Amino acid sequence: MKDFKILKFMDKFQGLFKSFGIDYNTMRKILQMKLTLDGRKVPTVMNNNNSSKKNKKEGNSFIKSLAFYILLGLVLVPFVISNQNYLFQMSFLFGILMFMMMTVLISDFSSVLLDLRDKDIILSKPVDGKTLSAAKTVHIMIYMFFITFSFTGPSLIVSLFRNGFLFFIIFLLSIVLMDLLIVALTALLYLLILKFFDGEKLKDIINYVQIALSITLSVGYQLIGRLFDFSDIMNIGFVPKWWQYLLPSMWFGGIFDLLFNKNYDFHIILFSTLALVVPILAIAIYVKLTPTFEDNLQKLNNSSGVVKAKNKGFNYYLSQLACRTREEKTFFRFATNMMKKERDFKLKVYPSLGLSLVFPFIFLLSDFKNEGWEYIANSKLYLNIYFIAFMIPNVLMMIGYSSKYKGAWIYKMLPFKDTSAIFKGTIKAFIINLFIPMYIFESIVSMIIFKGRIGLDLIVIFMSIIFFTAICFMMLDKTLPFSEPFGVNNEGGKFSIIPMFLILIALVGIHYIATKFNYGKYIYLFILAIVNLFIWKKAFNVKIEGNHNPQ
Amino acid sequence: MNQNDEPIITIRGLEKSFGTKEVLKGINLDVEKGQIIGYIGPNGAGKSTTVKIMLGLINEYVGEIKIFGEDISSGNVEYKKKIGYVPEVAEIYDSLTGREYLTFIGELYGLDYDVADEKAKKLMELFNLEKVYDSRISSYSKGMRQKVVIISSLLNNPDILFLDEPLSGMDANSVMVFKEVLAELASQGKTIFYSSHIMEVVEKISNRIILINDGKIVADGSFDKLKEKSMEGSLEEIFNNLTGFKEHREIAEEIVSIVQGV
Repeated sequence: MKDFKILKFMDKFQGLFKSFGIDYNTMRKILQMKLTLDGRKVPTVMNNNNSSKKNKKEGNSFIKSLAFYILLGLVLVPFVISNQNYLFQMSFLFGILMFMMMTVLISDFSSVLLDLRDKDIILSKPVDGKTLSAAKTVHIMIYMFFITFSFTGPSLIVSLFRNGFLFFIIFLLSIVLMDLLIVALTALLYLLILKFFDGEKLKDIINYVQIALSITLSVGYQLIGRLFDFSDIMNIGFVPKWWQYLLPSMWFGGIFDLLFNKNYDFHIILFSTLALVVPILAIAIYVKLTPTFEDNLQKLNNSSGVVKAKNKGFNYYLSQLACRTREEKTFFRFATNMMKKERDFKLKVYPSLGLSLVFPFIFLLSDFKNEGWEYIANSKLYLNIYFIAFMIPNVLMMIGYSSKYKGAWIYKMLPFKDTSAIFKGTIKAFIINLFIPMYIFESIVSMIIFKGRIGLDLIVIFMSIIFFTAICFMMLDKTLPFSEPFGVNNEGGKFSIIPMFLILIALVGIHYIATKFNYGKYIYLFILAIVNLFIWKKAFNVKIEGNHNPQ
Repeated sequence: MNQNDEPIITIRGLEKSFGTKEVLKGINLDVEKGQIIGYIGPNGAGKSTTVKIMLGLINEYVGEIKIFGEDISSGNVEYKKKIGYVPEVAEIYDSLTGREYLTFIGELYGLDYDVADEKAKKLMELFNLEKVYDSRISSYSKGMRQKVVIISSLLNNPDILFLDEPLSGMDANSVMVFKEVLAELASQGKTIFYSSHIMEVVEKISNRIILINDGKIVADGSFDKLKEKSMEGSLEEIFNNLTGFKEHREIAEEIVSIVQGV
C-alpha cells in the first residue's frame, strides 16, 4: 500500500483528532487501506497478474471525473462576477452547490457510510467505534472536498481576482462549512431512517432518494435555463420571509451581504450566525450520535419485516397475455422481477425514464411562453411526444447489465438453445412494465394539452416507437439480459446511439408527412402494423455464440 | 498469577432482543483457560449473537460479561488485543492482496508492519498460499479466502479464539492440519470457542460441548457426559434429541416424493 499525500497533509492536524479521543494512527491506517481500495475499484473482474500495469491506472477515473466537475463549475462563475447583490447571488450559488453535493454524497458515498464489512473486520480488533466512524467520515470528507473544490474552483479563482482576497477566503471557509453541514445532515438523515425502518426498507429509501435526486437534477437543469431570466433575479430586493430561514443557502448568502455590503439588517446577521453555528452543531450532534449510528447499522443485515405470501400475481397473467411460448413467458416474468427489484438497475435506468417523461413537455415550454396555449393546441407540436423514445436505446443497453451478473451462469444450464425467447420476453417485459405506463401518462397529459384531437396520432406514435424498439435492438450489441457487470463497457455504447436518434427523427418526419394527406395517418398506421408484425418476428432471431463468461 | 484458576470468560444473565424478538434469554457461562468449547445449536438459536456480543460488535444487552476478568461494557477495547475471530460469513477487503490485508489486520492488533508481514508470510507458506501472497484476494478460491481469514485471526497470538464455521470450503488436508493446530493451541492454554453445524467435527475436537436452543443453554458438559445423560450414541443424535427434532425420516421421505413429482 502506498502512502497518500492527503494523509501526510492530514498528519499536520493529528492533534485535533487526538483531542477528540480518536486513535490517530489506527484511523490513518484504516484510511490508507480505504484509499487503496478505492483506487482499485474500477477494474475489478479477472486477472491481477499484471499488477504493474494496473497500478498506473489507479485513481485515474476519479481525476477524470474531477475535470468534469471543473467544467460543470463554470456555471457558477456568473454568480461571482455579476453586480453586487451578494445575498441573492451567493445564496443561488450555494443553493446549486448544496444540491449538487447532496446528490453526489447520497449517490456515491452512501455505500461508504453504510458499509457493514468494516464492523466485523475492524471492530472485532482492538479499535473503538469512535475511531472507525472518524475514519469513515474523514474518508468521505476527503472526496467531498476534492469534488467541491473542483466544482467551485473556477468561481473561486474568478472571485479572487474580481472580489479580492478577503472575499476569496470567506468563500472558501463557507464552502468548508457547507460540506460539514451536508455530511452531518446526510448521516443524521440515515440515522433517522435506520431508527424506524429495517435494512431493506432503508436500501429502498436510499434508492428512491437517489433516483429522485438525479431526476430533479436533470429536469431542473433543463427547466432553469428556460424559465428564469437571471438578470431579473440579480435585481430583487431583499424582503425577509420566515421560510428563508429554512434555506441554508440563504444563510451563506447572508454572510456575504453582511461582510461586503455592510448590511447590518437583523435578519442578515441572523442568517450569518446560522451559517456559522448550524454546521458546527450538526457535526457535534453527529459525533455524539455515531455510536448509535453504528449500532443501528447492524439492522441493515436483518430484514425482520414479515413479507406477505404472494400467489401468482399480476405478473403471471401479464406474461400469459403478452407472450406465446413458455420460454418467452418465463423470461418475461424473470425480467419483470429484475427490473422492479434490482436497485442498481433502477438507479441506472429510472432517472432516464423520468427525464424522457418530461422531455416532450420541456420542449413545449418555450413555445408556451412565447405563443400561448391556443397556438400549441392547434399546432403539430404533439410530435414532441416522440422524444419519450430517447430513453429506449439506453434502457435496452442497460438490460444487459446487472450488479449480480455472476448469476448469469444459469443461462448455460438452460435446456434450450433458442435465445430469441430470452430477448423477446425481456424486451416485452420492458415495454409492458416500464414503457406503456409512461406512455399512458404521457397520452393523458397530451390529450389535455392538445384538447383531445390527437387520439389517432397517439396510436401512430405508439406503433412507431414499438417499431423503433425492435430496430434499436437489432442495432445494439447483444448481451444476454443481466449478464454483465455495470460500468465495464457502458461507455463505448454511447456513440452507437446517434444513428438511432437519426432513425427516430426520420420517424417523426414520416409522421409529419402523413399528416399532410387525407387518410395519410390511417395508411401510415396500417403500414406500421404490417412492418411491426414482420420485424418482431425477425429481429430477435439472433445467435449468441460463446456468450460472456463470468469468470 | 492466580488468573490461571479464574474463568477467562464469565457470562451472567445475558439477554438480548432485536425489536420484539428475544434472541438470548438468560445465558450463564464460565469458561476456563485451555478449553475447546463446541458451541452448537440450530439456526437462529443465538450462537452468533452471543459471540458478537462478546466481541463488542453488538451493544445494548442485559447482563454482565467479563473477559480476562474485566467487564467489557466499560468501552475499553484493549481486551480485543488478545482475541482472534473467524466470523461465519467472513467479509474481507478482497481488492487488497493477501500481504496488504494481513499486515493491515496485524497493525490493527498493534503489531509492527514487519512483524506482521513476517508472521503472515510464514503462515501463508504453511497453508500452501505462498504463491498468491501478493495477488488480490478477489482471485482466491473460497477455501483460500477462508485460510486467509484464519491466518488473520491468529496473527496476534490470541488467548481466546472465536471460530464460527471455520472449516467451510477448506480441503481435507488443510482441515486435518487446522484441527491439529487447535488441539496444540489448547494444550498451550489458549481457549477456543468453536461453533459449527458439522457435529462429527465438534464431537471430535471439543472437550466441552454447549448446546444452545431458543436463546437458552440446554446442555453443557463433555461429550461423554452428554452421551450418558441422553442415552444417544452420537452428538448428532443428542442434538436432535435435545432440540426436539424427531421427524427427519418423514420429512426426507416427503422431499423425495415431491422431487419425483407424485
